[in-house]
Parts: sequence; C-alpha cells; structure tokens
Amino acid sequence: MRYSWLTGLMALLMLSPVHAEQSAPVDVSIPVLVPITGFLSLEGTSQRNGAVLAIRNAPPNLRVQYDVVDTGVSPEGAVNALERALDRGSVTAVVASMLGTQMLAMLPIVLERKVPLVTVSGTAQITEMGNPYVFRFFPGDDVTKVAHVRYAVEELGLRRLALVYQTTAYGQSGRRHIVENLAKHGLAPVFEEALEVQVRDMLPVLSKAKAANPDGILIHLHSGPTALFIRQAAAMGVGIPIVAGSAMHQPPTAALLEPEELRGVCAEANASPVSGGTPEMERFLQQYRETFGVEPDGFALGQYDGTMMVLEAVSKGARTPAEVARALAGMRYDGVAMTYKSDGRGNMAHSAVIMCFDGRTRVPKVVKRYDNITGALTP
Amino acid sequence: MSRHVPTSRLMPLAGLACLVAWPLVFTSPYDLRVFTLVGIYAILVLGYQFIFGHAGALALTQGAFFGIAAYVTGILGARFGWSFPATFPLSIVVPVLVAVVVAVPVLRLESHYFALATLGIAQVALLIAIRWESVTGGANGLAGVPGIGAFGLVLPRGYPTLAFVWGIAGVCALVAWWLMRDIRGRAFQLMRTSELAAMSIGLDTARLRFSAFLLSAAFAGIAGALHAHTLRVVSPEVLEFHVMVTCLAMAVIGGRTRVIGAFFGAFLLVQLPEWFRFLEHYYLIAYGGALLAMIIVAPDGLAGLLDRIGARLGLKPRQTLPSPVPLPSAAPDNVATEVPLLSVSGLTKRFGGVTALENVSFQVDRGEIVGLIGPNGSGKTTLVNIVTGLTPADAGEVRLMGQDITHDPAFRIAQCGVARTFQLIELVDDMTCLENVAVARLTRLGTGSGRPKGSTKVDAPLDLAKRQAAHLLERLGMSDAAFEPAGNLAQGLRRRLEIARALALEPRLLLLDEPAAGLNEIEQQDLAFRLKDLRTSGLALIVIEHNVPFLMAIADRLVCLDAGRVIAAGNPSDVRADRNVIAAYFGAQPQDGLP
Amino acid sequence: MLTLQLLVNGVALGAAYALCALGFVLVLNATGAVNFAQGDMVMAGGFVAIGLANLWPVPGLVLLPAVVLLTGLLGLAFSAIGYFPLKSRPPVSVFISTIALGVIFQNVAMVTFGPEPRATPPLLAAGNIDVGGLTIGIQAIAVVAIAALLVAGQHVLLMRTRLGQSLRATAQDREMAAALGIRVNLMIALTFALAAALAGVAGLLLANTYFITPTDGTNYILKAYIAATIGGWGRLHGAIAGAMLIAVFEIMFPALPLLVPFLPAAIHGMFSQTSASIVLYVALLAVLFLRPQGLFGEIAQRRA
Repeated sequence: MRYSWLTGLMALLMLSPVHAEQSAPVDVSIPVLVPITGFLSLEGTSQRNGAVLAIRNAPPNLRVQYDVVDTGVSPEGAVNALERALDRGSVTAVVASMLGTQMLAMLPIVLERKVPLVTVSGTAQITEMGNPYVFRFFPGDDVTKVAHVRYAVEELGLRRLALVYQTTAYGQSGRRHIVENLAKHGLAPVFEEALEVQVRDMLPVLSKAKAANPDGILIHLHSGPTALFIRQAAAMGVGIPIVAGSAMHQPPTAALLEPEELRGVCAEANASPVSGGTPEMERFLQQYRETFGVEPDGFALGQYDGTMMVLEAVSKGARTPAEVARALAGMRYDGVAMTYKSDGRGNMAHSAVIMCFDGRTRVPKVVKRYDNITGALTP
Repeated sequence: MSRHVPTSRLMPLAGLACLVAWPLVFTSPYDLRVFTLVGIYAILVLGYQFIFGHAGALALTQGAFFGIAAYVTGILGARFGWSFPATFPLSIVVPVLVAVVVAVPVLRLESHYFALATLGIAQVALLIAIRWESVTGGANGLAGVPGIGAFGLVLPRGYPTLAFVWGIAGVCALVAWWLMRDIRGRAFQLMRTSELAAMSIGLDTARLRFSAFLLSAAFAGIAGALHAHTLRVVSPEVLEFHVMVTCLAMAVIGGRTRVIGAFFGAFLLVQLPEWFRFLEHYYLIAYGGALLAMIIVAPDGLAGLLDRIGARLGLKPRQTLPSPVPLPSAAPDNVATEVPLLSVSGLTKRFGGVTALENVSFQVDRGEIVGLIGPNGSGKTTLVNIVTGLTPADAGEVRLMGQDITHDPAFRIAQCGVARTFQLIELVDDMTCLENVAVARLTRLGTGSGRPKGSTKVDAPLDLAKRQAAHLLERLGMSDAAFEPAGNLAQGLRRRLEIARALALEPRLLLLDEPAAGLNEIEQQDLAFRLKDLRTSGLALIVIEHNVPFLMAIADRLVCLDAGRVIAAGNPSDVRADRNVIAAYFGAQPQDGLP
Repeated sequence: MLTLQLLVNGVALGAAYALCALGFVLVLNATGAVNFAQGDMVMAGGFVAIGLANLWPVPGLVLLPAVVLLTGLLGLAFSAIGYFPLKSRPPVSVFISTIALGVIFQNVAMVTFGPEPRATPPLLAAGNIDVGGLTIGIQAIAVVAIAALLVAGQHVLLMRTRLGQSLRATAQDREMAAALGIRVNLMIALTFALAAALAGVAGLLLANTYFITPTDGTNYILKAYIAATIGGWGRLHGAIAGAMLIAVFEIMFPALPLLVPFLPAAIHGMFSQTSASIVLYVALLAVLFLRPQGLFGEIAQRRA
C-alpha cells in the first residue's frame, strides 16, 4: 500500500522540472537479499560484499540506502525478505540471492511489482521464463561450460573425459551443459558420477574414474568437495589434467590446498580478481581486501559490476524501478570483469576465463579468455 | 481438550479475536504473506500433534510428508497443468499412503529407534527428490506451480489466499479438536503415560498410534499442498531436516496437544525469525536460544503456560459431578456352568535361563475369590501378566469360559472381560479421578455392549461414560475426589481408583496385584469389604497378596506359588498350614504358621 | 590392492566416526537421552582447533590437550544448559534442547569463523607414505592411532578406575548409584564433558583430512546415531563397530563395480555415493525391522 503511493510520489517528482537540475543527490534504495547463513553462505557473503562495495563507490550524485537481509537457503526465506523489502518503501533495484530456487520463487513477485533483480545466480532457468526484471551478472552455465569444455578439448586436447559433479542445482545444471558441449565436439564423458556435498572420501569415485581410463577429468563441485577431490587426486597421483568448475577459483578453496597439490589444475569463472591484471581489477582487489579483510572471488566481482551498472543507470536518469529495468536491458556497460549487455533475456555476462595454478602459489593465472560466447555483445 | 473449562472457552475466543485482528492491522503484502504461512504451518503442527503430542511418538517424518505433498502439488500442477481440485486431494492421499507403508515396519519400534527410523525415511525422500531429476526437477525443483484455483480462476495473493488458507486451518482445527475432545484425548494421554494400563483397559494402542500417524500425514499433506501453492515453487528444501525441526519446535513451543498451541507455535516461529532479522546473522542464535528457553521454562508450551496463569488467577471452575448412571447389570454368560470361568493349564515361562513359571494349572469359577500367594520372585505377577496377555507364554494355555485366549493381544483379552490392577499403580497422575475412570468406560462403550441406543445426542457415549464413571466412583466411595488429579491422592484411594477403572470394563474376572500394599489397617478392612461386595454380582477375583490375614478374610481358595510351581492350592486355612507353604516362606525351618 | 587402499581410508574415516559415536553412547547411557548436538560438538572441536592454530601455529598433536580441555569445558556448560534443567522431564525434551543447542553452536561458529570450509593443522605432518604400493596419509595413520588410544583410554577409565566405576554405576541405575553415595549429577556432568572431549578430538582429526564447515555436524550426528543403533543401543563397543561398518560401507559400496569383476556394466550406475546413502538408510530400517535390539543386542536402561 505504502509502496504504491510512494512510487506515485516518486513519479510525480520525476516529472517535475526541478529534478532535471541534479542539484540535490538522488535517493536510491537497494536492498541486498542474499544467503548469509546456510550451505551457500560463502557465496552469499561474496555477493553481499560485492554489492556493498559498489554502493560505497556510488557516483557522488546518488545517496544510496541499503539493508542487508539474510534469506537463508529456503525459497520461503527469500520471498519473505523480498516482500518485506518492497514494503519498506521505494526500492530502486534488489540485489538478489544467487540461489536458483530462491530466484525462481522471487520472479513472480517482481513481475507483479516491477522491480529489477540483480544477481549472479548461475541457474539457467531464471532467464528462460520471459521475466523482464531479472538480470544476471555472472555468466550462466551456457557460457562458462562452453569455456570449460572448449579449454579442455581445444587447448588441452583431451578426448576421453571423466565428469564428476555435485547433486545440487549448481552441479546438476553444470553437468547438463558440460554434456551438451561435449556433444558439440562429438564427445561424451567416459565416466560420470554425482556426489553429495557430504561425501568425505573421494577415493571411490577417483578409482572408478581412473578405471574408465580417461585423459582428463572435469569436475563441477562446490568449494569443500573440490578441494577434497583435488587433494586426493594429487595424493593418488592420477597424473591427468583436472579442469574444475567455478568453485575452484574462490580463494577459500585454494586456501585449503597446498600449492603443490594445485599444480596443473585449471578452473573456469567469470574472472579471477586475485589474479589482478588490469588497473581496474587491481583497484577493486585492493579496496575489497581493505574493506572486508578477505580475498574477493568472481561472484563478488560480478555482483559489484551489476550493482555499479544499476547505479550508473540511475545516475544517467533512470528513476523508477521499471526505468532501471529498461535501462539495464538496453545499456552496454564496461565493468571490471568484462563488458555487460543484455541478450534480451537478462543474461548480462557473456565472457568467461580459464585460470590455472602453477604449483608455486595459490594465486592462479588467467590463461585464456573466452569473450562474447553467446554473441550478444556483437552489435 | 483443555483440562479447565473456562480457559478452554476463553482462550479460543481471545485467540480467535487476535487472529481476525492481526491481518486487519498488518496489511502490507509482506504481512499478509507471512500470516498466510502461519496458517499453513499451523495445519502442519495440528497434524504433528496427533503423533507427537497425543500418541507421544517422536516421529521425524512430518517434514517429509509435508515435502512429499508439496512435490505432488508441484509435479501435477507445474508439469501437467492440473488444477487445485485434482491436485489437492492427491496431495493428501499420497503422504497418507506413504505413511501406511512405512507404518508397518516403523510404528512398533521404541522411541529412540522410531525417531531414527523416521529420520531415515525423511532422508531417503530428500535424496530421491534431488536425484530423480526428470520428475522432480532435481535440486532446482519446479517453478510455476499454479495458485489455488479451479476452472480457470485463480485466487489472487493477499486477502483471498489468506482467507482460504485460514479457512482450511479453521476446519483442520475443528477436526483436531473434535477427534481429541474431552476424554477421547484422554485415551491418548493414558496410552503415552502407560501403554500397559492402556492395553489393560482394552485400548488397541497399535491401532491408535496408526490412526494418529495417518492423521498426521493427512494434515501434513494439506499443509504441504498449500505451501506449494503459496510459494509457487517446490524445491528439495521442503524436505530438509530444517523443516522438521521447525515443526517440532512449533509443537513444543506452542503446546503438544492443544489446538490453540499449534497456532501459537506456528505464529511465533514464523514471526520470530522475521522479528529477529535486525540481528542479521545473529538471529539464528537468538532463535536457538528462544527455543531452548521455552523448553526449560514452559514444558507444556505456551498453551500450558497460559493455563497455569489462568489457574493462578483463580479461573479454575467449580465443577459438578455428572449425575451418576449405574452400569447395565451383567448379562449371564451363555456358557455351560460346568465350564470354569478361567482355566489355566500347563503354563510355562522362561526369561533367559530363569524359569518364572513351570507347568502351572488352576481354575477359577464365577463369583469366586482366589488368593495367589508366594514369596517374592515366585512368579505371581508373571502369571497375571500372561493371563492378561502382556507377556506371551512359552507353553500351556489360558481359557476364558472355554475359549482359548493364550495368544490374544492384551487389549482383546481386556475386551473379553478380564480386568486388572498393577503392583505399581498405573494411573495418569495429571488426569482427574473421573477422567481416569471415564476413559476406560468410554473404551468399553466403544467396543462393547453398553452403547446407548436411540439417543440422538452427538456426544451421547461420551456423556454416558462420564456419568457411569461417576457411578463407579460413588460405588467405591470416592465421589468427593472426582475432580482431584489422581496424582494428588493418598495410596489407599489410588488403589481404589485403579479398581474403579478396572470395573469400568464390566469384567467377569478381575486380577488385583497386591491391592493391600501400602494401605493402613482401616483402609485394608474397607477394601476387603468392597471386594467381597463385588463378588455378589458374579465377578470372579484373583488377588495377589503377601498380606495373608487380609486374604484369609476374603478368599474362597488360596493358590501358593514357589519358584514358578504351584505348591499348594485349596481351602485357605489348609494352604496356610501346609508345610511346603511355610517352608517356602520361611526357608527350611517351619514355624507355627504364617503371620 | 585397491580393496586394501579403500579399507585403509574406511578405517581412518571410521575411527573419527567412532569417537563421535562413543560420546553419543556415553551420554545416552548416563542420561537415557539422545544428544543430537554430538555432531555439532565435532564441528566445535574442529573450529576450536582452528582458532587455536591461528594463535599458535603448531602441529595438531600439540593442540590436542588444549582441544580436549576446551571442548570438555564446553561439554560441562552444555550439560548445565541443555540437560540439568530438564533431567526430570521425558528424554524427548532433552532431545529437543540438544537440537536447539546445536543450532546455537552452528551459528556461533558461523559468526566467528565464517562459512568457508577450513582445515585443522595435521597431527604430525602433511603428506603420504608408500607402504608396498599403498598410499597412506600420515594423517590417516595418526588418526587411527589417536582414536585407538582414546578408545583404549576410555576403556581403562571406565573399567579400571574408581571414577569409571562411579560413571558406570550412574549409567546403570541412577537411583541405586545415588543410594551408594555416588554424586550422580557430577558423574553425569563429567560424562557430558568426556563425550564432548571425544567429539572435539574427532573434530580436530577429521577437519584436517575432510575440512569442516559450521553446518557439518548434522552429517556426523546421523552417522553416530546410526552407528549406535546398529551396534546395539547403549553398547560402547557396538557403536565403535557400527561406526567402522558405516565408514567402510560408505567407501566400499560406490567402488563395488571395481571390486566385483562380474557385475554387469548396466548396473554400475547404481553404485554411486548417493545410492550408498539410500542403501545405508534402507539397511538401517531393515536392521530395525528384523533386529530391533540392534546387531549386537541392546543394554541401555529404559527411561522413556
């Protein structure tokens, strides 16, 4: 109720000529609704940090107000948090959980209330539902898995690939795209197995994978299991390349392993902030470390870029949430990690990188960029 | 279902007023959504109260039933486009069917195993939901679950959905209250306090537990379906242990057996995390702390806490005894009088290597009082347990009026007219005397001859049971204590109350296990008088007793057991003088006789 | 060779499960109640060790006494909050209070250490040794050795000392123990401390090889609960055997296609680690159905 008259008031304000002067700072409200507790809290915390850092770096003509609300990992928690945030007053855009099931539950509500959701969720489905209010600033599996498979097949020349993935949304979606992309190269995995997050010993799956006589292993596991897998693979001396999913690029994953155990391991992600590279990246890295005392990952960077893009849209004149959504859908934005542009369905990120560990440090080197994989950036 | 009349009238009214007021005061879409969820969880908890509260079994499947129903709604609604009228009944039926299947191996397990087994079942359901991607959508679940609706019309969010959900919650509350109202719920209380006593008054406890389990599943089905419709997505999260813990916490915090408690619990536990949001990630710590504090401070939940406050404020009513109605006079059995009432032959029982009974045989005739004596450990109680079906015999047989009842379950034997009391009194201390007896009477009315005929009143059996219970109390001279909780009584009255409860079965045979223990002389005389009085109606008694003078005053015959064998039987004074009997009691040096 | 290697890994995992299960059964015997936070005690032990290692970077073996002490104290506090206020209530109240305490533990760890998986320092050193073609982690050997020592120590404590006698008497019959002049409440509190210390050590041992996150406790309590059940409710040695059985099963079952050569390839897919969990639960139900007293019979006193 309150919401609707406030938006009405805002609309009135916008129509008034005074506003165009841009003398007074523009009020912007961006609730940050991310899973800080539960199994996705590591990634959710990155999301929060990225969004918060962007809000601190907001253009000077904006006065940004934000609340961080934990969504937990249930769809119910996300929906409650969203409704509550929307009831609190005028909302410009929402930084929304990267958990696919939570996004799916929030979509019908933002369709009704016309507020854009900015997320780094990898779940393919969220941009396949024709909802104009969802914007994904992390390359989906339809981008990253192309890079994942192409690097393994084209650069490393692997043909007999074993595939190990997690029994979660992250793993199941990744697995589907890996298999599809392998098929494009005329290949199929020689071995496949799904693991629960609780699995403690990787020896059985490693032994079975080895028995299938592969020349490389693709894994798509969460942080802890990725580290376990790589450590045991190193202990067994499997001696074939491992190309891992995005969890491997997260610094806490590498922190669990000795540099030597990481030798030759590669991983895909949207970017590797800790690897630095460009001046913008170095600046982001330094500021992130200073602010939060931890190392950033690609999720933090994606959320940073996405939130910055929202702020830029507002700074350029978009005022209502619906206008912000329209701006996001039409703009092209050069972020720290890559150039973002919607493919018409809310997929903003179209690039992925492959990074590898050299066995001497826990900081990977970016070895290959795959830009504009979907072709959406081509004018 | 409350113990005190006025609070039970006042609280629902006050509660109802709050319930209606809440969504009128807090009107934002967010508030309405949260309040709708409260209604859904209240239904879930109302169901859980059947198995956890009433039946007293720590089932950890309630979350799984909830999740299964959500998946049924989700799969049929999102994948096949079925609408509410088709998916809703199926969402109730499927969890009930699952409950039927798992009940067979699981329900007979003891508490800790039952908890683990039900937890295992829930884990399997979760794993299946995650792995069966083609049907369940895997870990991502299913989006696009339709709203509640039919024939192309869908209930909008906000008030219409809220009203619908709360309407169903209201119906569920009424059903739950109706099923457990008054002394019907007391039968469950007896079962969870003392399963032995429940069986001994003829309650088929396995069936009660089974029906409670199915009811739980049905209610969870309703809640799960509504949850899927409200959230519009279904994901494995609904099957996770977290949901079960929430449900358990709601039942504990609200109150395990009270309808109003389900609503309190649901309201608080849905709202609490929302209220604690400002604590950011500390809110789960506060949540755990609140749960812990409630268990310690209010063991009966908020509903119980309010009762206690009500009682302290003097809201406890003056209750008047229902006007007593005598029990129907026992019809003579149609069995030829040559056939003894009870005949035991060749009973043998061993526990591990210890022989408790060895080839025991004796008979009891109608209207006879048989005293059973013997030193400690001679097998007296074991014998009573075998006759009443609580312990299976290794060999031999027990016949009641010629019918073999050796392998019948305890509740069936009780229904056939064999009642008993216990050496360690098995009453429900929290229930009034009247309730303790009325439960047994209601059970008898439900299964036996006494069902009132031609009465149009809905609660006629319930009413009659209480009035006949009042009669039994009167007969045993304890009308004054009718509304006293059994736990407050002195030992003598507790013994008498147990006898009154046994008499409520209209038994043909009554077995009393040390009825005079702990009674003073006057109480003993009083008891002896009453027992002799019972026999006049054709009732036969077997009385285990160490107190031989007491037995001498009432018994027609004595049977003496030693080390599981009958060493003497017959006329009381003969048995008392028997050298073997004296030896058994006093070791090798026979004296002048027993005390 | 693979069988042996799998077996070695299974035993190492089982040793840590066993420590958790052992504490579970000790508390069960002393109080008749299920401590559902025993898994969170494992987690707490892991994080205590991580916290200590941050302050004082030494091998795990040096940290071990401090972890024992601190988690033991935590166990005392746990009993004071979660058990004693409820000791005259039905066991299910304690069950629920331990669930509540578990929630608190998990979130205190989350707030203090953050959500990312962490590793404790190795007991002696990282790395592997080669024994006739078997690759065995130094940590795995140390884990098994420490667990064996603790199990033996616990056995000596219970069977050979006065304190142990009092503990056992309390577990057998509280009223009788009280009548004999044993300070029953003290014994129960000590049992909680002992159980927490065992779990704490399990956390220190496990978290090096398998890492630890604040929510990992749930997995360990389920394993302990199942181990205690199939081992015979209330049997200490049964619980250890049960824990070993579960761990070895978890590791061997998914590898069956490699171990059993004549399995048709079509059913190889059935032997995954998820199906191992499902089979474990179904096997548990079967055990409960066919032998409700557990594989080795039960001895715990009934207070339910």
